[in-house]
Amino acid sequence: MDKKFTVVRYFAYGMEILLLFILQSTPNLIPELFGGKPLLLIPAAITIALFEPEIPAMFFGISSGILLDLGYGDNIGFYTVTLGVICFLLGWIFRDYMVVSFLNATAFTTVITTGLICLYFLFFYIFAGKGEAGFYFVNHYISKIVYTFLCGVILYFLNKAIFRSLLDY
Amino acid sequence: MREFFSGKNAKILSITAIVLVVLAILGAAGHPLVSSGVNLLTKGLSQVSAAAASEGEKTYDELLEENKKLKKDAADLRTQLVDYYDIKDENARLWKYYRIKKTNPDYEIMPASVIRRDSSQDFYSFTVDVGTSNGVEVQDPVITENGLIGFVSSASAVSCKVTTILSPDLQAGAVDKRTADSGVVAGNALYTDENKTTLTKIDAGVRIKKGDIITTSGIGGIYPANLIVGEVSDIKYDSYDATKYAVVKSYENIKKVTDVVILTDFKNKGEIKRISGKGDR
Repeated sequence: MDKKFTVVRYFAYGMEILLLFILQSTPNLIPELFGGKPLLLIPAAITIALFEPEIPAMFFGISSGILLDLGYGDNIGFYTVTLGVICFLLGWIFRDYMVVSFLNATAFTTVITTGLICLYFLFFYIFAGKGEAGFYFVNHYISKIVYTFLCGVILYFLNKAIFRSLLDY
Repeated sequence: MREFFSGKNAKILSITAIVLVVLAILGAAGHPLVSSGVNLLTKGLSQVSAAAASEGEKTYDELLEENKKLKKDAADLRTQLVDYYDIKDENARLWKYYRIKKTNPDYEIMPASVIRRDSSQDFYSFTVDVGTSNGVEVQDPVITENGLIGFVSSASAVSCKVTTILSPDLQAGAVDKRTADSGVVAGNALYTDENKTTLTKIDAGVRIKKGDIITTSGIGGIYPANLIVGEVSDIKYDSYDATKYAVVKSYENIKKVTDVVILTDFKNKGEIKRISGKGDR
């Protein structure tokens, strides 16, 4: 079977992830809203996983996770592992048990984004004993979650367009 | 005829003739008074008319060619102007480093530029474009001409991550330059957005007041002494542990900083001077 569109699609996803990483990490590029900036790679990995099978979904989850972890330290860690597993599960669920729609895509993106950012806060802020956790969460993390989710809506339509226009029949 | 020679006109003619003859004789003798005077009066006009005549001699093609050449020259000059501004910026940047080095000859400095400010990072930490291959080590102080910015919290071969003074992860021994009261500088989430850090562990009877300048004490051996941290903007009371602390505003806008200097070595680096437990960490 000819897979040329699949290869081009995966290449497009790869470029998208790279571009989002640059956007996310370039100093003073994305404006800060209410103390938070979006983590663009989380919804990117989630929305790609909604359309792709488990293994490619996991691959893009791990790729996004590595780039996110690079922002925190110089080793792979929290986001690499969690996004790899989550994207694998999403790929599997949406291939065999669910149909992708705007509603369930929004629901999954919201729950996973919120869950991951809250877990990150728990492990790397509260457990690290940085203090004034409630204040910092309200003033920085809530806006970060909302901002990330809003970008996720755009990324859902982008990845849907990439998937549909580059599909091998 | 007699009437003619005795009339007024004849006199005028005679005088004019004599004057002309005299002028002619003078001119012949090397004193051309008339031509010099006329030349002087008409020089400017002649220059303009000569220039106009000269332009008029050029053909359309020649003018087109000249226009092209002038446009190319203008483009070259614009490029040179851009280069000039780049060099001017670089010069200003290097001049700042030079001043730091001149004021502190014992500092070994490594200039660096901010390449990443990741969204997942708290307390405005950032990544710079130099790493262990440039001699940078973990815990090296990071400064600008406005004072202490933070420290290197992790380093790879080509880049390193800087934790800022806005973060609670940074703890540095510090003193009030006016009163010599000491404490520990540590970030506090309550003041991060205002580009402020805090001076904690200060004694109850200290005389620190608003406007005082806080510098590093050098105790602990991680930061050199006398690096400016900022200016006291407020004195607060922590009801949790019943102690006072000073809120310190940095002179540098840490959220937006783009160029920094890493101190790879300085006098007394690594020497711990323990004074009442208020050292760097």
